[in-house]
Amino acid sequence: MSLKDIIAPFSVWKRALEKPYTTRKPLDERPGAPRYRGFHVNKLDVCIGCGTCEEVCQNEAIDMVPVKETRHGDSGLRPRIDYGRCCWCALCVDICPTASLGMSNEYVWVDSDPEVFRFTPGAEGKPWDECELGYRRADGYDLLESKRVEMPMISFEESRKSFTEMVLGYSAEQAKREADRCVACGICIATCPAHMNVPDYIKAIRDDDMAEGLRIVYEANPLPASCGRVCSHACENVCAVKHKGDALSIRWLKRYIIDQIYAHDYQKILKEKAADNGRKVAVIGSGPGGLSAAYYLRMLGYGITVFDANEKAGGMLRYGIPEYRLPYDQIDKDIEYIRQLGVEFRQNTRIGVEIPFQELYHTYDAIFFSTGLRLPYGLDISGEDLPGVISGLDMLEDVTLGKTPDIGKSVVVVGGGNVAMDAARTSLRYHAETTILYRRRIEDMPADEEEIHEAQSEGCVLTTQAIPLRLEKGDTTRLKLFWGKAEMVSEGEGKRPKPVLIEGSEELIECDTVISAIGQSADLTFLPEEIQNKLEFKRGFVVVNDFHQTADAKIFAGGDIANPKRDAISAIANGHSAAKGIDIFLENFAPRD
Amino acid sequence: MYENVMKSAERFKARPLGRDQKIGGMKQREDLLFMKVEQEQAVPFITWLKELGGFGHLVLFTAVDFIEQDIFQITYLLHSYEQHHDIVVLVEIDRQKAEMESIHHLWPHAATYQQELFEMFGITFPGSPRLYEDFALEGWQGPPPMRRDFDTKEYSEKTYFPRPGRVTHDPATYMKEQLYPGEAQTW
Repeated sequence: MSLKDIIAPFSVWKRALEKPYTTRKPLDERPGAPRYRGFHVNKLDVCIGCGTCEEVCQNEAIDMVPVKETRHGDSGLRPRIDYGRCCWCALCVDICPTASLGMSNEYVWVDSDPEVFRFTPGAEGKPWDECELGYRRADGYDLLESKRVEMPMISFEESRKSFTEMVLGYSAEQAKREADRCVACGICIATCPAHMNVPDYIKAIRDDDMAEGLRIVYEANPLPASCGRVCSHACENVCAVKHKGDALSIRWLKRYIIDQIYAHDYQKILKEKAADNGRKVAVIGSGPGGLSAAYYLRMLGYGITVFDANEKAGGMLRYGIPEYRLPYDQIDKDIEYIRQLGVEFRQNTRIGVEIPFQELYHTYDAIFFSTGLRLPYGLDISGEDLPGVISGLDMLEDVTLGKTPDIGKSVVVVGGGNVAMDAARTSLRYHAETTILYRRRIEDMPADEEEIHEAQSEGCVLTTQAIPLRLEKGDTTRLKLFWGKAEMVSEGEGKRPKPVLIEGSEELIECDTVISAIGQSADLTFLPEEIQNKLEFKRGFVVVNDFHQTADAKIFAGGDIANPKRDAISAIANGHSAAKGIDIFLENFAPRD
Repeated sequence: MYENVMKSAERFKARPLGRDQKIGGMKQREDLLFMKVEQEQAVPFITWLKELGGFGHLVLFTAVDFIEQDIFQITYLLHSYEQHHDIVVLVEIDRQKAEMESIHHLWPHAATYQQELFEMFGITFPGSPRLYEDFALEGWQGPPPMRRDFDTKEYSEKTYFPRPGRVTHDPATYMKEQLYPGEAQTW
């Protein structure tokens, strides 16, 4: 043992008189750094409950629990975090599409009850809820791609020259890149009238499994080639990714799947129909509603005959939508598969003219009609009977039939819906100068946003807040249209403002043709009086139950005639519900002979 | 020093790696040398480095799973205080017969590294003390977790369970229940 070892124990005595180091209680709380990752904060009104935070969490620390009321675009669920599992990595904050989720810089919280460390940020009133400091997603740091893969399109200078389809469609690489942006939250499913399983068919694109994609699409929509082009895509308006950039191109991704598969391969891929069950259903009208009902009923084994007044099936898809938006071969692709399943189409057959309704009523076990809205509203101004005044629908139908419409050199389209846009853009393609006259403002137009944009870009002049007053015979042109300026008068909160004519204002447009496209009503003359009396009508719509059954148990109705949404995808959903309804009705309530 | 090591390396059939290669635009530092050696020559070579080469310090000792080539690469990092030089000895062993000679007789603390390598990679070192005792993973039941074919998620799903009382909802299913529960829209 050395001398040092003997002395060492005594050396500590030199500390005896020093001031001791003591940590006093309570501890001084040290604030977290400005971007510290502390307890979460969530703006409940901004959050849409998409559950992307739950998906991304590597520790399964997040549960989605009901907090708010569920509405379109908001599941009403909010993330609840289990701090027993959270590792404070902030991936949930980085990926949050709405940027509602953040982290405060609070990190000190002592409690003896472990259960309190599981809570729903924003909903349970924590002291740090209003905390401005803490971690937020940094600008420019994106885990989600906010820009949509650009769709190749024909330029507007080219597109206005012909009826060639404008949208060219994605390549495989583009479609996969676009599909990769999907967070698969499924919020769109509720908003789609047909409740298509969007996340799953987008996943099929990511997996490059087109057959699986086609099967998923056909579960809820038997007209995907058409819908992939002209659907009003309500889904894209509620897309979670839209909260941080462009919505997914859901419609075009659906189109991509359909474009990859030849029509003659459908039968190999899609599930087989049930064996014929011996019952017969008549479908009146071959628009989206009728075709959808025919398809789903045929899948259940019913014998289906579709009666339609036109030369070819498709209804408004074919006769109301111009070829540059929806080429006829694409409608045929959808319809021919339905025909292939054994659905009988009887074209050029008007019920009530060629065949009395009563005959169908007695021959068939049930009837589904979706005859749509075929009677255009008149302009209701003086001079509307003058030559040169036509309806938008008639004009579009003529074009489909291959006739060149007699529209002259200048056209005024009155209206702001999709028919107005289609009529205007079709007129452009026949080299007419085209003006669209609308009573309200652009933002009030019922037409799809991109339709309005494309109409303007192709060179249609939009004149808004303009009310047509009267029509007169023109001097150099065929017609003179007098119109007055309108001002928007508020109708109270929640209602859209009403256009009111400014007294004394009067303007003049000279044109060869006035196309009225201000809406249509149903033509119910095919229904005999006793049936009309039996059915209920409300504001021009046939009243139906959830299964689209009318007051006559044997008669079902859908599409624009029974549905205020008035678009193809709603009609398809109606047809599907009606098919279910007819099946339940015939299985359970109708006598078998 | 370099020449000295190289001369003996020939005897052990060890070859230097990438001395003059630039990797990712960066030149390897001057005082570091990588040597690759066959499995049966590895321990004799390391012994020479320690006893005669002056590399008396075992800095670390680890393994890498090259599952594609079906091998484990064992990495010994040695340091010489006299020469201020590092040397890395790389040895490839068969992944199917994951067994390596022990070096605990050269450095007693190597036994601890070997214990860890057995636990994490399942590589055995016959004769190494306390080899089969738990090291970091007390009560571990599964396959060695650092092997790349170890499925972390599958293991934790099988082994652990969620805290009781937790419930979650899928947004799409929940929205269906809330907004369109009717049979008419169920397909």
